[in-house]
Formats: sequence, structure tokens, C-alpha cells
Amino acid sequence: MKLTIKVDPDLCIGAASCVTIAPETFQLNEENKAYVLDHGQEPPPRTYERVIEVTPEEKDNLIMAAQSCPTLAIYIIDEKGKQLFPEM
Amino acid sequence: MNHLIIGGGIAGTTAAEEIRKKDKEASITLVSEEFHPLYSRVLLPHYLKGKIPRERVFLKKESWYAEQNIDWMVGITALKLDAKNRFVALSNGRELPYDKLLIASGMDVRPLFGNLPGVMYLRTLEDADEILEQTNPTSLPPTSHLPALVYGGGFIACEFINYFTNIGWPVRVAHRGSQFWEKFLLPEAGALIRTHLEANGVEVLPHMPEPEVAGKDRLESVSFNGKAMPCRALGVGIGLRPDWQWALENGVKVDRGVVVNEFLETDVEDIFAAGDIVQFQDIVTRRSIQVGNWMNAIMQGRVAAANMLGEKKPFRLVSSYATDLLGMTIIFIGDTEKAAADKVEIEAKPLENGLIQRHFRNGVLVGAVLMNQNKERAILTKQIDTARP
Repeated sequence: MKLTIKVDPDLCIGAASCVTIAPETFQLNEENKAYVLDHGQEPPPRTYERVIEVTPEEKDNLIMAAQSCPTLAIYIIDEKGKQLFPEM
Repeated sequence: MNHLIIGGGIAGTTAAEEIRKKDKEASITLVSEEFHPLYSRVLLPHYLKGKIPRERVFLKKESWYAEQNIDWMVGITALKLDAKNRFVALSNGRELPYDKLLIASGMDVRPLFGNLPGVMYLRTLEDADEILEQTNPTSLPPTSHLPALVYGGGFIACEFINYFTNIGWPVRVAHRGSQFWEKFLLPEAGALIRTHLEANGVEVLPHMPEPEVAGKDRLESVSFNGKAMPCRALGVGIGLRPDWQWALENGVKVDRGVVVNEFLETDVEDIFAAGDIVQFQDIVTRRSIQVGNWMNAIMQGRVAAANMLGEKKPFRLVSSYATDLLGMTIIFIGDTEKAAADKVEIEAKPLENGLIQRHFRNGVLVGAVLMNQNKERAILTKQIDTARP
């Protein structure tokens, strides 16, 4: 399945919980904000939002990474546009 | 199996959630001192700055606890642990038995002696509400032309400096030691912070004892060694104290925190601890350390839950914490207590107005502090993590 992974850089404080849980999807940039990768790959440009193909296990792990963010700066949206996290 | 969790913060709530994920039948009781559903303390500075509305600080809805079949008790504290008969006496008069107990009761803010409106702390949502009320322009006292004072030299002091600056108030910061984070930073790093603060118009007053507060109906001045200094507000960040008295008598071993091994087990069978209150055996840096921050609390909540369910899962994480002080990013990674290192060295980075401080023990890198050196964070974290696989 395809998911849209989005980081709000204005809320991100670089706590790095997402990087710890899902390092293949999140890394911190020079401003100490999390940006989004596709399975460790980074087709340019560097971005806070990406659509990536994930397995069900990867989806669960991404939701756990988003849940672990202390500022709720990570959004996960499915193919139908439904926001999976944070729950509306 | 009957799981009792004392503490409704991120460590305790995460543990409850993880236990429920893995065991649909278990009985789970979560005892919370606060009345709110789980909220993020890390979001409080964003709430203060108006970046998010108040309702956005909450991470769980009130209905979540019942949906998860978690018995959520609010406004209640633990009074006494009876480890022999396996129950905890609570402030509501009940005695709750347990098969597995998790101590996640966190830390309380350490207050100054004396209190008045205008003296502020920042730990809970109520503290943040109080700060907003006390700094509301419509309710300002006649002394509102005076600077705000911040007392402390750590993370909470940074938050107060950022907040007062953000609302346009002049700021003075005083602290007991010679510099910020005296136990962690070499003088060169402390001096860089001071220079940065002064360049941003913040007056820095080192070597100041705890102030006495004075005022009629609200704070008008503070005094150091009897010498009065008028101010319009005082933000206090002088550390935390553990809330563990209830667990001490015939109970668990404590040192700087509730002492646990790498499996987050205390020295008493079937009693675990997680979050800010623990002093854990860190298998990355091989020392028993206390690190109170969000990431440790949430990860420890998960590991504690697994072990309460009978797994034998070690807690392994390179601890880190990042903060912003008026545009300077300061990041602590691993074990950064100076006294626990046998070598601490600084690499200056004058072009970026920053530096890297590295901590070594027995020749191995165990910690680092970065100032305006964010790009080095991932590299140093990995170096600390892999130094002792």
C-alpha cells in the first residue's frame, strides 16, 4: 500500500524518536528537523513529505514512530486520503 | 494477570497500551495523579507560544481508556507499597493488589521557598495555563516595565528565556553555578552559551543563591543575599524531585532514581520501573544513569510492558535530548556527566558559533554535546552506539 508521510517542520523539535524507531523513513536535517526518506533512499529534493510504498509491518512501525513523536509533528495518510495518524 | 501501573504519564500509559496490545485478557489499572488524559509535556512550550491550541497537547481522549479496557483512576496517588503482601495503598483509601507492578510515578518540580502570583514553574499543563494567565497583557501589574527573571541553568530555564523573549519581555537569568549545565559542560561550552545569551540581550548573573521572593499581592521583587532586585515575573527551573516515598519502606532500592537493571526490573520481584523516576543500567554506556526525557520514557514504557508479560527484553537506547535556546540548538547524546568521564574534550566550531564536546570513559566515546552542530548528531549517535555493541 502507498502512504503519504508528512512532517510539520514548525512543530518538530528534533526529539528524534521517529529516527530511532524508523530510521529508514526519518532522518534529521541540519536544522534538527525530521525529513522523510523512502526506504533509506533519498531521491532529490530533500523533503518533509513523501508518498512511499510500505508493507503492513512497515505501516505499523511508521504509526508507532508517529505516535512516539512528542509534538505530534508526523502525519500519516492512506491512499484514500484518510488520515491514519493523528486520528481525527 | 493483574497489572498495576502507578503513574499516568507517557511511560505508564505506553506500558498500559503495550500490555493491552499483547494481552487482551489482562487486568490493567493505571493510577494517575493528574486528572487529564495523557498529554505531551514537550508540547507545552508550543502551547505557550500559541503555535497550537490547548486541545492539541492531548495524546489520548478520555474515552480511550475505557475502549482499551484499562481501569483509569484519576486524581489519585500511591501512599504505600506492601511488596510482601503485593498491594499498593492509594490516596482514595483503596488497597490494590498486583501480580506485576510498574512504578512510573515520575518527578515533581522542585519549588523555591515561598510562592506568589508571578512565580512560575513549567512541568504540568496547569503550570502552562498559569504562565499564560500571569503574562496576559490585560492583567499585568504596575511593575510591567521591569525585566522578567529566570532562575536556573538547565532545560526549563531555556524554555522560560525563550518564552519571555518571545512575548517581548526583557530577561535576566540567574543561576547558582558559574554557568549553564555545570555538571555537564566544560567552561568553554558554558561561556559560549553565556555569550550567545548576552548577544541576544539577556543579562546573565552567575553564582546566585536561591532567591527569596517578595511582594504584596503578587511578585514585586526577588532578593539574593538580602539584596532586592525588582522584577515582573520569575520563571523557576531548578530541577525535579522524585515522587517515590510511597515505594521506599520495605520496598525498592533507590539511589538518584528507583534503581533498575537493563530489563527495568527493580530489586524486588515482579516490580518494574520506567520513565523519569528510574536510574537504569545503560547497556550502551555501561553505567547506571538517570535520563529524564520523552524518548527514554516512551521506550522504557514499551520495554517494561514486554517484561511484565514475561519477556526478557533489555532496554537499549542512545539517550538524547535536543533543545533550542534563542536559535542555538543544543543536543546532549549519551552519558554527558563530566564526573563520570575520564576525558572530556572540546572541538570549537567558530564559523557556526558552535562546538562539539566529547566524553570518553576507558578510552571509549560515551557521550557528546553539540552546539549548533546538528549535522554531527547522527554520526556521533552511531559512534556511541557502536563503540560497545
